[in-house]
Amino acid sequence: MKKILIVEDQKSLCLLYEEELTKEGYEVVAVNDADSGLEALQKTQFDLIITDIRMPGRDGIELITQIMGLRKDIPIIINTAYQSYKGDFMTWAADAYVVKSSSLRELKAKIKELLKK
Amino acid sequence: MIERYDFFSYQFRREASKELRLLSIVSQTFFQPFSFEDNLLVILTALTSGSGVGFNRAMLFLAERQVLRGQMWLGPRSPEEAKNIWEILSTPGIGYLEVLEYNRSLMIESADVLTNRVKSLSYSLDEENGLLPVLPAQAKKIMLVRDARNEPLVDKKFLEILGTDEFLCLPLVGGGELVGEIVLDNAIIRSPIATRDVELASICGLIAGNYIYATTLQRKLIEMEQFAAMGEMAMHITHQLRNPLVTIGGFTDQILGGSLDPGKTKRNLEIIREEVRRLEEIIFELGHFLKVEIETPEPIKISKIIKSVLHSPEIRRKSHGRAVRIELARDNPPILCDQTYVREAVRNIIDNSLDATPQGGSVTISARREDKKWLCISVQDNGKGMSKEVLKKIFVPFFTTKEKGMGLGLIFVRRVMDACGGKIEVESREGAGTLFRLFFKCCPTEGEK
Repeated sequence: MKKILIVEDQKSLCLLYEEELTKEGYEVVAVNDADSGLEALQKTQFDLIITDIRMPGRDGIELITQIMGLRKDIPIIINTAYQSYKGDFMTWAADAYVVKSSSLRELKAKIKELLKK
Repeated sequence: MIERYDFFSYQFRREASKELRLLSIVSQTFFQPFSFEDNLLVILTALTSGSGVGFNRAMLFLAERQVLRGQMWLGPRSPEEAKNIWEILSTPGIGYLEVLEYNRSLMIESADVLTNRVKSLSYSLDEENGLLPVLPAQAKKIMLVRDARNEPLVDKKFLEILGTDEFLCLPLVGGGELVGEIVLDNAIIRSPIATRDVELASICGLIAGNYIYATTLQRKLIEMEQFAAMGEMAMHITHQLRNPLVTIGGFTDQILGGSLDPGKTKRNLEIIREEVRRLEEIIFELGHFLKVEIETPEPIKISKIIKSVLHSPEIRRKSHGRAVRIELARDNPPILCDQTYVREAVRNIIDNSLDATPQGGSVTISARREDKKWLCISVQDNGKGMSKEVLKKIFVPFFTTKEKGMGLGLIFVRRVMDACGGKIEVESREGAGTLFRLFFKCCPTEGEK
């Protein structure tokens, strides 16, 4: 079973992702800040990471930079409410950029695509 | 030995050269909170008033997108009117500012025939072989025309409107660019234009050119900044609204999928209810942030406000496990502000302090008179404090370190303080705590009024 780490500060959104992705057959760990995300990465071998950008404390971009130092091979999806960061070069380090939407279709499709590679 | 002088003394007014007096009058007026149009009138008044250059009439053109367009024309419409105006204005005690005030009322009258006439005039600055009045603007040269009727370089329509044979064209240049032109004449008293008048007018022209240039540039910059700020704000608002909407949509879809048990359906509905409440909060806060206006500041007893904030259920809940100390001086005078805004500002600051203070920590709220003018409310905590980086951003709209914060609280407080003429100060050390101080103007007592 593929393991996905979700880093998202909105707790209710975390719950939604957790349930929906579990239904898709993934093992999901959801945390609410970047530091907890890094901690989880030390303990578990994840196959994919989904992270928000704007979070209290360390933001998503800082998290990606740290992950790059730990594990370069792991695919990362940025999932944010900001459409405008898409062109930002700092987000290029990620493998995909999905704007948050109540339909999780795009997010699910991206996960599938990246895990197939 | 120290010699002391007053600005603009009687001595100065009597003895300084006309050029110096004119310079000081016009430059001082530009720093008054007048509108752009009012200041254009200041220029024309300086050129036509007796204490200024003393021309009979002044006609202003502004250059925009390579077109020189008639803007305003100041002066009496007939010799009779001139006689009346000059009689009023030569009354002892009537100074430059009174003349300006008079001219302003003259321009406001909708039947300002002169200005309406000049507004029908416009000339392309790109025009080859341009005639007067556009020629001096194109050449950026001052031109004095005598015997205009026999001068082939004068536009006939312009001459017909002007109705006089002698006039001075004064191009207005600022930052190397042409910004307009002023046409001056002595059509009423029909005296010839002297060289000294041309020199005096050129001083006004220099100031006016630079003023128009700087103001136009500033207007453009403000517009650009406003657009950029609006874009930034729209981006943050979208972010704030999208999060709860995505959650509402996602959990609704789960319910509509039909496979949820009653327990989970109830849980989803509760989450949806909570997110809707958050949306309402966002809209409330945005409305609050966007509109801070205090028309008439009212006297407010600050101790009462602080006590009522501390008694509110939300603050009481957050105070749990923290020592909240209150030090309110007994003789605090009332402050001048708006009751609702002050309450909200104080609540914001206390709320932030409690958020930053862990269980076992303390928050001290005090209010005391600093001096005759100011009353200071300070909120000191020994919580987590802020780093220098965070401190730099706390008044940036939408910046927040809280999970569910909008990042509008402190900017709102600052807007309230600005609106009532007060100020906000903050000191913080990471790991040691934060001190916020709100300075409000005291309401003057009976004896001080």
